Amino acid sequence: MREFTPRELARFDGRDGRPAYVAYRGKVYDLTGSFLWQGGRHQVLHRAGGDLTGELELAPHGPELLEKFPVVGTLKGGEDAEDDRGEPQGGVRR
Amino acid sequence: MARVAREMVERAGVDVDQLLELLVKNAAAELTTYYYYTILRANLIGLEGETIKEIAEVARIEDRNHFEALVPRIYELGGKLPQDMVEFHNLSACPPARLPEDPSDVMAILKVLVEAERCAVRGYTHICNLTAGKDHRTYDLALAILNEEIEHESWFSEFLGEGPSGHFMRRGETSPFVSKFLK
Repeated sequence: MREFTPRELARFDGRDGRPAYVAYRGKVYDLTGSFLWQGGRHQVLHRAGGDLTGELELAPHGPELLEKFPVVGTLKGGEDAEDDRGEPQGGVRR
Repeated sequence: MARVAREMVERAGVDVDQLLELLVKNAAAELTTYYYYTILRANLIGLEGETIKEIAEVARIEDRNHFEALVPRIYELGGKLPQDMVEFHNLSACPPARLPEDPSDVMAILKVLVEAERCAVRGYTHICNLTAGKDHRTYDLALAILNEEIEHESWFSEFLGEGPSGHFMRRGETSPFVSKFLK
């Protein structure tokens, strides 16, 4: 199974026909086929291409809705993210 | 647009453009659900289907009422509905409540209905959370709609065998919570 760095994951932002991937608790899910993630956006506030673990804690639903989608890899943590300081594209728009 | 009303919401710290996008998406969900429920209701036939037809009809009419109640708030805050109906459909906050592959499968129809209501319950809970203590009018409206969506969910859930809904069907009235926004 593929291991994604945060920068690699950020490329899967669902825009312009690209796949929409999000990470949750170390797993990377493919949400490309979801009606609710069209264009890589979900309910206005959330964007594909990032780690949504924190955001899901605040969402009006649990991980069960995410777990219906295929897992396409795992998210590589810390040390690689520090070497590879790309701005994550996913997450809450503030 | 109600300029001062919008200013008050902005000053309370709400991103009004984000909120408007959410309101439009939920208005789209209500109107498209009204459409899809029309098809579901028509297919609720036979001994099993007829039992559910009446509550599906009440949920259908109330969802249309929710659309009607949301639209004025969208325009008050400076928003608008898309010109294009297809665009409106596709930006819906909830997936289309399509008729199952086997239209005679009443349980499958019930699952579509309950999932649609659950999506709505999540959506209005989210709007209530965003507006609580900040945008009183949108909060009041979203809470009224949420009350009705929770009842719809519980009706369909009861028929799915998930336990008692805890209350009765409507008695000739519709939208007991939202009707104040429709007068």
